[in-house]
Order: sequence, then structure tokens, then C-alpha cells
Amino acid sequence: MIKESKAMLLTGNHAVSYGAMLARPNVLPIYPITPQTPIAEKLTELQLNGELEAETITPESEHSAMAACITASLTGVRVFTATASQGLFLMHEMLHYASGARAPIVMANVNRTIGSPWGFWPDQTDSLAQRDTGWIQYYSESAQESLDTVLQAYRTAEQVLLPAMVIHEAFYVSHSLEVVDVPSRTLVDSYLPPFDPELYLDPSINRSWGNVVNQEMFWRHRKALGEAMDQALDVAAKADTEWKELTGRGYELLEAYRCEDAEVLIVTMGSMCGTAREAVDMMRDQGTAAGLLKVRLFRPFPVDMLQNLLKGVPRVMVMDRNFSPGLGGILHQEVKAAVCGMEKAPAVHGFLTGVGGLNVSPALIASLVKRTKLKQADINSIWVGEEDGE
Amino acid sequence: MLQIKIHGRGGQGAQMAAQVLATAFFREGKYVQAFASYGGARRGTAVSSYIRIDNRPIRLRCDIENPDAVLIFDASLIDEKMLKGINKDTSLLINSTKEAKDLKECSGFKVYTIDGINIASRNGLGRIVNSVLLGALAGLLDAPDFKNMQNVIEEMSPVKVPENISSFRDGYELAKKFKGVA
Repeated sequence: MIKESKAMLLTGNHAVSYGAMLARPNVLPIYPITPQTPIAEKLTELQLNGELEAETITPESEHSAMAACITASLTGVRVFTATASQGLFLMHEMLHYASGARAPIVMANVNRTIGSPWGFWPDQTDSLAQRDTGWIQYYSESAQESLDTVLQAYRTAEQVLLPAMVIHEAFYVSHSLEVVDVPSRTLVDSYLPPFDPELYLDPSINRSWGNVVNQEMFWRHRKALGEAMDQALDVAAKADTEWKELTGRGYELLEAYRCEDAEVLIVTMGSMCGTAREAVDMMRDQGTAAGLLKVRLFRPFPVDMLQNLLKGVPRVMVMDRNFSPGLGGILHQEVKAAVCGMEKAPAVHGFLTGVGGLNVSPALIASLVKRTKLKQADINSIWVGEEDGE
Repeated sequence: MLQIKIHGRGGQGAQMAAQVLATAFFREGKYVQAFASYGGARRGTAVSSYIRIDNRPIRLRCDIENPDAVLIFDASLIDEKMLKGINKDTSLLINSTKEAKDLKECSGFKVYTIDGINIASRNGLGRIVNSVLLGALAGLLDAPDFKNMQNVIEEMSPVKVPENISSFRDGYELAKKFKGVA
């Protein structure tokens, strides 16, 4: 392990900026939006201080920012951007384009409620609504993990030629000031080599390049995109293992926290994982065998790995800080689909907790575990308010 | 784990106060977590800041429900919701011209009041009370260390550095006097 780092007091957003800086991106097309803006502000500050050499582009919208990311990335340079909520939605069309063009852009998204009505609260619906865009999606729990994941995301994205999102929630992570180990440039350079794709567009060659295809070519292209997603599982796992060897910090793609002989496994993503760890410790102390299965990589969804971890588990309790009207919690749907066909599949309970940024306390989580033990699983996700646990 | 809540109005410096505290505890080798929640991101609306301090990394990512101390920048913000989860061991430090016993809504709790505006304006800071209140909080909690806090305030004050330091010191000394009175 190389011990080269500096402990700093950083917000989750500024930790992302440091992660991006250490990746040495060449182009930063970026458009401000609350609660992402501190990422952009810190990056331009680092640039001003001479710690980051990159071209910052400030286009007129997020749609244009993503268009700039794609074109810059296709010239074979490293690209970083960040957004949130409505900004991510404005990019939606271009997100599909980025993965189709096989541009390994890394983008941070700060989860924020979607309008209407207007709010600034943590809610994962914005990024989960992009689950079919062909982007790799990582969900992070802390400032440290967000910094580390930006670097892991570049490793993964550039090897499989797919774009990647590093996602954390508003306030609980984005604006939370905490102690972060910022690795040295030497360490990061040894981990993340310069982006050097085999094929790239050379703007010095004065030609246009059309990409209209026939049905068979399109079919082949989509299939190849899917294969790259499949490969991303191994590549991301290796990127994490190697990061752990260098820094001592690894996160896995799905992390099993105190899952041994669990009667109930909590499955969730992002900031609620931290609170769930405390709830699990509390319940274990009181004799309830609860565990946490943290979904860190949501796309590609590690179905095989999930099935293995759920073998012999009687009950699963999914907590969703998001809502898909008409079907319920998005992670709940995905977990139900993933266990389908398993021999002795666990009963999958789903709770809509913390939607709109509602507070989710360890006591609330413990009460949901108790309920999961006592009741049969409902096929629908169940709404949970702040007071419902008591 | 030490858990502190700060309630103020946008523009009063409640968020800055949390950052100052977090920085000071960080320099004493503690793990800290400080975050804020605000509605309109506008001056005048209610802003709450939360700080956790511990000897090991902090994993909780939720509101502080049972704080050890609450710092209130404006007594008009006090309501039932704010006082929920507060118990007899919680120290409430309130910026007010009133005496603790006259704040009826807080009766039964460990309440300390400080006339922050008077101290701030005497030190040339007008109505900007965060350095005074930080001084009083540090005095009350006996942490972070006085000298360390003073250094942090010196570094983090954007303007009027000597005024902020003297305000901090006055707040600290006052808290030392009312300690143990309640």
C-alpha cells in the first residue's frame, strides 16, 4: 500500500472536484445547477491555482454541455462534467448519444428532487430515470467514496468505452463537510494511465463522418454496447481491488455488511447505507440478525453477484429513496426481477423511504426490519413517512 | 459522539458557524461531519446546520434527532418541531435579550441565553452574531480548545478579523461565567 495522501476537510462535492482534478481531465464542459455547482466552482478554482490544466467550456445549457463532452471525448481526450436533477433531464437525449458513441465520459450527478414541485432535497429518481441510457452508474455513500469512485469510474469507463456516472445525494453527501484522504498525484498517476484510445477523431483531418446505419449494423452496435456493459462488471471489480491495494480503501460492487446468517437483509443505495450500518449494529447488539447489502454499482446491475449473496436469505427489505409512479421503488423492482427464478428466492419487501429527502433514522430502519420479519411481503412498494416507524 | 444543531436564518452565518466548528474539531484530530439543510437558499429563511464529532469515522447520514447542544441564532425560530428530541441533558444556547427563565417555550430545558447582538455591535460587527455565539458554545462545551478556535476564526473570517476575534472572546468568557448556573 502506498501511503501518500493528505487528510482534508471537504464536502462531498469538493471531494468529487479533487477526484476529477487528480484524473487530469483535458476538457470540462459544465453548466451550473444546485446542488452540483460547488463541484464546478472548486474545479475552476483549482484551475485558477494552476493545479488543473484543462479547457473549461461553459455552454448555454446542459444539453449543449453533454454535446460538448461527447465531441471532446471522441477526439481521444479525458472529459469530466457534473450536473443534477433537471440538468440531467435536459441532457437525457445526449446521454443515449454518449453511450452509443462509446464516449467514456465521467460525470458526477448530485441527486436532487425533480420538478414539479420545486425542491432541493436528496432523491435518487433523477439518475435512476437514466438507467436505460447505457451509462455505468455508481452510487456513493460518502465524500471519500465519491472521490475514490471518480477515479475508479475512469478506469472502468475507458477500458470498456462506456460513459460512467458517479452519483451522490444532495446535502447528506454533497454538502456534508467531512474528513477526506486526498491521494497524491503520484499515486493516482500510477493507478490511472492517460486515456489513449485506439480510435479517435482527429480534428486536423478535415473530413466529416456520418453515422447513419442500416438495421443490421444498428443491431450489432447495440449488442456490442451490451457486451461492453457485461464486461464492465469484471473491469469495475478489478478497478476497485487495485484501488484497495494502493490506498487500503475498497468498496466492492455489492458490499455485504454483517450479512452472516441474516434473517433480514436490507438492500439500498447511497447515503441511507451509512445510517443502515448503524441500524444493523444496533439490531445485532439487540439480538436481531440484520445485515446490509449495499448496491454500489447499479448499472450494469450485478445480478449473478446479488443472487449469490442472497442464497439462503429468507427476507430482503429494499429501501428506495426514489419513486417510479405506477410501479413503486426502482431498486425494489430490480431486486424482485433479479431473484426471480432463484431456488428458494427470498421474500422481497419494498419500502419508499426518504422520498423527497425525508429523514431516515436508524430507529425507522429498525422498525421496518421488525415489520419485515412479522409480515408477508406486499407485491407493491410501501410508502413510509418519518413517523411511520414508531 | 457529540452532536450539535445550529438554527438560524439565511444570511446569519449558521452554516459558516458549523464550518468553523468542524474545522476546529478536525484540527484536534476528530472525525467530523457537518451539513446544512435550507429551503429557499435565500436570506431570512430558516437554515439548520448539523455537526457530528467522533473519534471514529461517522457513518450516520440523517438528521440529528437527539442533540447534545443546540445553538439558536434567533429565538423567534423556536417551535415545537425544533424542540422535539431535546432532553434535559441538552444544552440550549439562545441568542436573545431575554433571560433564560423568560423563554417560556423552553421551560424545563437547560437553557442559556446570550445577548449576541449587543456584544457583536459593541465589537463593531453590527448584527453579525456568529463569532459571539461560537465563543459562547465553545465556552459552554469546553471544546474545541479556545486557542484553536481563535485561530480558525482568524483564518475563516472574510472581513473584520480583529472584531470577530474579540467577539468570539467575549462570547467565550461570558459562557465561562454562566456555566453551571442553570
